[in-house]
Amino acid sequence: MSYTVALAGNPNCGKTTLFNELTGSKQHVGNWPGVTVDKKEGAYKKNKEINVLDLPGTYSLSPYSAEEIIARDYIVKEKPDAVINIVDGASIERNLYLTVQVLETGIPTVIAMNMMDEVESRGDSIDCEKLSKIFGVPVVPIVARVGKGLEELMKVTGQVAAEKQKPNEIRIYEQNIEEAVEEIMDFLTEGSKDDRRWTAVKLLEGDEIILESLQPEQAKMVQEIVEKLDSQCQGDAEAAIADQRYRYIVQTVGEAVKKAHKGHAETGSSKLDKIMTNRVLALPIFALVMYLLFAATFSENFLFIPGLPSPGVWLAGIVETAWGALTGLVEGGLTAIGASDWALGLALSCMDGVGAVVGFLPLVLVLFLLLSFLEDSGYMARVAFVMDRIFRHFGLSGRSFIPLLMGFGCSVPALMASRTLENDKDRKITMMITPFMSCGAKLPIYMMFAVTMFADGNKTTIVFGIYMIGLLVAVLSAFLLGKIIKGNGVSNFIMELPSYRVPTLKSVLIHAWEKVKGFAVKAGTIIFGSTVLIWLLSNFNFGGMCDMEDSFLASIGNAIKVIFIPLGFADWRASVGIVTGWIAKENIVATFGQLFGGVSDEVVEAVSAGEQALPAITSVFTPAAAWAYMAFNLLCMPCFAAVGAIKREMGSWKWTLRTIGYQMVTAYVVAFIIYHLFGLFY
Amino acid sequence: MALAMVTIGETRTITELRVKEEMKKHLQDLGFNVGERVRVVGENPSGLILLLNGARIALNRGLATKISVA
Ligand SMILES: Nc1nc2c(ncn2[C@@H]2O[C@H](COP(=O)(O)OP(=O)(O)OP(=O)(O)O)[C@@H](O)[C@H]2O)c(=O)[nH]1
Ligand SMILES: [Mg+2]
Repeated sequence: MSYTVALAGNPNCGKTTLFNELTGSKQHVGNWPGVTVDKKEGAYKKNKEINVLDLPGTYSLSPYSAEEIIARDYIVKEKPDAVINIVDGASIERNLYLTVQVLETGIPTVIAMNMMDEVESRGDSIDCEKLSKIFGVPVVPIVARVGKGLEELMKVTGQVAAEKQKPNEIRIYEQNIEEAVEEIMDFLTEGSKDDRRWTAVKLLEGDEIILESLQPEQAKMVQEIVEKLDSQCQGDAEAAIADQRYRYIVQTVGEAVKKAHKGHAETGSSKLDKIMTNRVLALPIFALVMYLLFAATFSENFLFIPGLPSPGVWLAGIVETAWGALTGLVEGGLTAIGASDWALGLALSCMDGVGAVVGFLPLVLVLFLLLSFLEDSGYMARVAFVMDRIFRHFGLSGRSFIPLLMGFGCSVPALMASRTLENDKDRKITMMITPFMSCGAKLPIYMMFAVTMFADGNKTTIVFGIYMIGLLVAVLSAFLLGKIIKGNGVSNFIMELPSYRVPTLKSVLIHAWEKVKGFAVKAGTIIFGSTVLIWLLSNFNFGGMCDMEDSFLASIGNAIKVIFIPLGFADWRASVGIVTGWIAKENIVATFGQLFGGVSDEVVEAVSAGEQALPAITSVFTPAAAWAYMAFNLLCMPCFAAVGAIKREMGSWKWTLRTIGYQMVTAYVVAFIIYHLFGLFY
Repeated sequence: MALAMVTIGETRTITELRVKEEMKKHLQDLGFNVGERVRVVGENPSGLILLLNGARIALNRGLATKISVA
């Protein structure tokens, strides 16, 4: 017999951490509410019969934003065999509010009392046995982060699912509410008794989704009952229900939880918040954090010390040297076995193409590691709050900050993260500008130009400059789109601030490993495939093998390039680069590596000696055109994977096309301005 | 008086939520109930940081003016 067990709980209570521990998956864990926005399935490592399902977090079974609907629908409609309700023991009252509602559904439930390490370090204690007696379900203390208590948890979960063990019926409402519940239950026809009771309670709470699913005459009766109850409860039945739930919880917690501090305790997090969200210090601190993030990734004068390479640049140098040696070996090996000229050409071309990308991997890796450190620390929610006031000036709420910051890593998860924005207009605008946050895959483009075209100047400033252009365009776009797109004004900001946590070495290493693995797969498939295609197209025409200038690719590129005359880079190779960039942005440097010849060896030297890496580029681009080219690739349509994410999240082709159209036009206009403006200076 | 007017360090009792239905529901789910004790622990140009039911919650000033406390 196999079972499906769903993980349900408040946002940020540790569901995904538990899911990863149970299934060996590596789903995204972060220390802010709303990390998981979709359901994910996996088999329990130690018993493949048990299927575990990770859900987005939710504060109650009355959904507020899009990802909460997913959680509720799964629990009440698809009905797992059992629910593991994860409770953050450190804020137990608030978490039990969802628990009470889960128990009301009558679904077999186990409570996992998580974060017991934090509970203990505060000196509090939770009597799980007593809670278990009160609720009629097993309550198992766990520390998901270190895997403590999980065997016990899964043992009882297996039993509960097998025996379909229902929780106690908890009757916590006053007489008049109970009567109204019974009245509604009487004329609901569908579902078991538990279902009907749950539905009735939700209707009294004013649940629109359920109300709309009723027959018109049923809906009318419900409304009458609700009105009657409203008048009995000082005009607000919903508030009375919430209130009575909380009263029950406070009473329960009083019986089962011993707190070291009465009232509101001052914790380490509160003290840190005084600094991190301080009205004077908050923004300088944020600027410093951002500087460190990017400088550690790509600065050649890290911490403003001349000649000190950042960890990213230092690692990149090593990888490039290694790749250069590997290319030499391949060349030697192929020559030794007497490979034909074309095979040698193909192999070296692919080594150049893929190598151009591999050489920049360390930069991207360092960026991702630091981003994941930020995400795990708890700082993201604070910045979202601090930025709220600033974002309001151009029509967004602070919540948009999280997807936008994630955009510096990869647009795809960033676009998905926008699901947590409950205001439709905010969400659309955020998605339209997220790709303007330069993703990790675009970074190599700037590095390539910086080492080639601007070798004498301050390369770090060039790359920072491009990031700034992206930010500026994003801000102006938000402002402009806010005026054009119809919808409600900016919504209010309310967000739970989690405790600050030091990320575990394990989670940071997992992140790094996932990144390297994902990248290796991408390099071996999409990028390698593209380089083979580029080689074929750039070495053949209808007459067979030919010079690059006469190839298919040159013809295609020459046909496209006229569009870019006003932008200063009317070159077939540059045009091809833009197109391959849509498959994956890493392809741009790969394509340049192939078409402008031998990037890898020379980049190695360039990094160490500050020389030009792809000398051939200078004959095609002027410095102003190089700026325009970088800006165009930063702003134009993102890669297909991101376009797919836009389509999924927008839910319509119309808005997907609008988004792409807006990005294309913006890219063109901005590149045009940059080319002509910078042409005055260079 | 409005929650936005409470000075840092003070604890007050929520008396009314003067917001739209949807937001009200969300606030209740987060623990903002009439009669609940809430303490203001931080403040900056964006809004306030509150302690409520053992959780730290940040909200913008506009919303804080619509929550009445005594
Ligand atoms: N101290 C401690 N921290 C934990 C524990 N379990 C999880 N965490 C941390 O809690 C934070 C949130 O963990 P997640 O697993 O992402 O939480 P989630 O419930 O999936 O969150 P959403 O997807 O946003 O709903 C992370 O910083 C975890 O490292 C625990 O047992 N003890
Ligand atoms: Mg999660």
